Amino acid sequence: MASGMQEKQYTPSLLNFFVYNPTFGQKEGEEEKKILFYHPSDVEKNEKIRNVGLCEAIVQFTRTFCPTKPAKSLHTQKNRQFFFEPEDNFWIVMVVRNPMIEKPNKDGKPPTVEYQEEEIIDPLLTLITFLVLQLFNGTFGRQMEAGGVELLIQKLEKFFYRYLQTLHLQSCDLLDVFGGISFFPLDKMTYLKIQSFVNRVEESLSLIKYTAFLYNDQLIWSGLEQDDMRILYKYLTTSLFPRHSEPELAGRDSPLRPEVAGNLLHYGRFLTGPTNLKDPEAKFRFPKIFVSTEDGYEELHLIVYKAMSAAACFMISASVELTRDFCEQLDGLVGPQLTLLASDICEQFTVNRRISGPEKEPQFKFIYFNHMNLAEKSTIHMRKTASVCLTSVHPDLMKILGDINCDFARVDEDEEIIVKAMTDYWVVGKKSDQRELYVILNQKNANLIEVNEEVKRLCATQFNNIFFLD
Amino acid sequence: MERDMRGRGNPWTPSGLIGQFSLSNNVSSPTLDKETEDAATDNDRSDSGEFVVTMLAKAKLEEQGIGVKGRSSPLLEVGTQETPAFISHRDEDVTAESWRQHRKHVFVLSEAGKPIYSRYGSEEALSSTMGVMMALVSFVQSGDNIIRSEHIVVFLQKGPLVLVCVSSSRQTEQQLRGELLYVYYQIISMLTQASISRIFEHKKNYDLRRLLAGSEKILDGLLNLLDSDPSFLLAAVHCLPLACSLRDSLSQILQKAITPNLVFSILIARNQLLTIVQEKTVIEDARLEPADVHLLLNLIGASSAFQAGEIWTPICLPLFNPDCYFYAYISYLDPPECTVCLLLLSTDKEAFYAVAECKRKIEEAMMAQNSLSLIAKVQSYSVSQVGVSDLRHFMYKPFDVTGCFITYSKMEAPYSSEEEKMRLLDLYRYMHNRIHSTSRPLKLIYHVAERETLLAWVTSKFELYTCFSPLVTKACAITAITKLLRWIKKEEDRMNSLKLVLFPYLS
Repeated sequence: MASGMQEKQYTPSLLNFFVYNPTFGQKEGEEEKKILFYHPSDVEKNEKIRNVGLCEAIVQFTRTFCPTKPAKSLHTQKNRQFFFEPEDNFWIVMVVRNPMIEKPNKDGKPPTVEYQEEEIIDPLLTLITFLVLQLFNGTFGRQMEAGGVELLIQKLEKFFYRYLQTLHLQSCDLLDVFGGISFFPLDKMTYLKIQSFVNRVEESLSLIKYTAFLYNDQLIWSGLEQDDMRILYKYLTTSLFPRHSEPELAGRDSPLRPEVAGNLLHYGRFLTGPTNLKDPEAKFRFPKIFVSTEDGYEELHLIVYKAMSAAACFMISASVELTRDFCEQLDGLVGPQLTLLASDICEQFTVNRRISGPEKEPQFKFIYFNHMNLAEKSTIHMRKTASVCLTSVHPDLMKILGDINCDFARVDEDEEIIVKAMTDYWVVGKKSDQRELYVILNQKNANLIEVNEEVKRLCATQFNNIFFLD
Repeated sequence: MERDMRGRGNPWTPSGLIGQFSLSNNVSSPTLDKETEDAATDNDRSDSGEFVVTMLAKAKLEEQGIGVKGRSSPLLEVGTQETPAFISHRDEDVTAESWRQHRKHVFVLSEAGKPIYSRYGSEEALSSTMGVMMALVSFVQSGDNIIRSEHIVVFLQKGPLVLVCVSSSRQTEQQLRGELLYVYYQIISMLTQASISRIFEHKKNYDLRRLLAGSEKILDGLLNLLDSDPSFLLAAVHCLPLACSLRDSLSQILQKAITPNLVFSILIARNQLLTIVQEKTVIEDARLEPADVHLLLNLIGASSAFQAGEIWTPICLPLFNPDCYFYAYISYLDPPECTVCLLLLSTDKEAFYAVAECKRKIEEAMMAQNSLSLIAKVQSYSVSQVGVSDLRHFMYKPFDVTGCFITYSKMEAPYSSEEEKMRLLDLYRYMHNRIHSTSRPLKLIYHVAERETLLAWVTSKFELYTCFSPLVTKACAITAITKLLRWIKKEEDRMNSLKLVLFPYLS
């Protein structure tokens, strides 16, 4: 008898992604004009039209019951589709295949496939996708004004080609739902040093409008509006930094190692813009981003400059042309200072760690998020990048956290939810005044009261000035 | 896009219903089909199509020698009598805002897109919406789809029927699908699955309303019960809490009043079960599923037509056997209050007089024992009986008894209004869904919210849902639960004495 045959687990995967506008191509035979972007592109034209048509029909149908809030998603056994209308008549649709388990059958029968329902994460991905799109291209409306449909289609193609590669559905969890920012903990002295650095640079290079300072993929300072910084942070940590970190980690003689400009004075270099300042012929450009202002938005050049683990972002109005001279000036000014700062921070960090003791298994496994300042903290995630999510707890427990978060989102009031999972783990969720705390306890024989006491102890040590329900 | 119009091989799998009902694939009882039913059922299966049409087409039953005095089909009566609790929604304006704002719409249509039933608004007015629904179903092709927006839209295809629910009630798709399945089964209970398949095989665009005319009340009633009755949520039957001795005496009375081909004797009071007695050798180990009992209770409760005199009507028990009819004798034992109802199910179409004789025997015996006044004295549980101050409401379902029965307390202040009752049930529904999740089930949920604190607990022995005041402390809640469980144990002689009584076949 066939034994030892494993069941195979398939994680959710992206099947289709498309953008359409039903007001284009309303005439018979011209339906293809509605489609602004479609992935995968090698699908037959009629099938594309049919899928878009289905979306339109579903939206229309749900409008019968609620004209103002049409369909958000369609679930079938095998996959699910999410509809998102960020601007009037522009629709973004994402189709994801459900996670499934393939169980082998005996006697040579084809394996049975069992599809699983998942819930939370995916709808947010369409929103985040749109926000990142908007960050780099502005709104659909603006793009239409600037260059009409053809230009829009080109830009979408270019953007999504790269962006969809960074979309890793299987490693999304509660932290993605929050869309928070991880802040780097600093002592006052070092923080002041960074502040004065930023001030000095902004004063010397008056073109700079906004600055952001990060260390080790965590934010320290930002002059941008919170919502813009949130998306920029996501882009930096999931796209830009990973792209550049691999070469950095490569060995000394590896061909991947970036051409070090041979500058012995500092370790600074441009992550966006000129890769090699020494070469006068090399062309370069900076990516442009759109951030919101009081009465609309403004377009800015995004300069990301890195020295060791410290990264500084400088944003300059897009109406200014940035020359090689300017870059050299920036390089000369920022490079040495940033290098110095980076090593200062590193030293402080090491000193602090020595004082607080070696990093062992954190006593409490928790996730904390503050909606007001977007600060997030997790002692559960050991490593989280765009493509990898390593947690010290079972993924099912993370999903339970997601469920609790969903429940909290339904009401505005403060609530508390405690559950005991089938594995006898306890999960406690507390929501108070825009802050959320999730704790996972591995205490199989505890009862509700003991669990409550444990969580109270955690709150007393880490969150002693925040009120949570008893 | 060729569709298999026979529709029997349905992609719908019962796995989504785990924890909803004990639906299983071995639903039809083989013995019933083959051996004992013989002439009676075989004849019926072959001509049940015509039989149904005749029954429901206002043919007088007397013409068939069945002996109900001058009444037309009782199921049709249902449509004509309005009880004060039911407001007909048939004529609602489907373009009005108020139509859109209904919490839950349910539509039934045939595969060909012909409308069959709509909860709010007439099917005629909705025929174009139904056409769109049909298009969506066939477009997506893999059956069983849901759409989420402000509302959830759930599609369910069963055989040649398509059922759609558009709900803003925040229930999950599994829960809504379960409700649609109940609607489907209620339709089956009136027509049988075999006839529906046969009818649509012959004529794909048959208008099923011809056969269901007048029965909208029954479906309306079912949907109202699904919204307001907790026993559907827990897939169990609610029994009136009788003392052991009273229940046993009633069961014995039923046991003795038998006639050949009588298979079930059921006593109901105030829409709750008193006792069921089942003929043993015919049915052997098969028993009535809670869903079948719910459908029967709804059928009887949904109309006042059954209240006068005696009714003899064909009825199908869909989970027991979806393809054949039983013949039900229905009579209230206490006119004019009509709170206690006797239901006798036979497999013999001609047995009306014999079964009516059983009823007379039962009536006599109950009179002798003064049963009716004893039953009238029984009260549903109130939370105050438990003696715990912070407890507002509870629902309890034990797992180990030979049946699925639940107990719950009355909904009292602050849940006195219909709105509040619905809101509490919605909270229970949400907890039920979380605890019985197929991918990540839980053992316990303790939810502190603004207006109440809820605790749901599932062990190997029972399932318990409780509601406390929002200021209760965890220590108090634990003490309360302990006290409640102890009280329940004491009451167990009342609650768990209900077993299915099997009696030997008398030749």
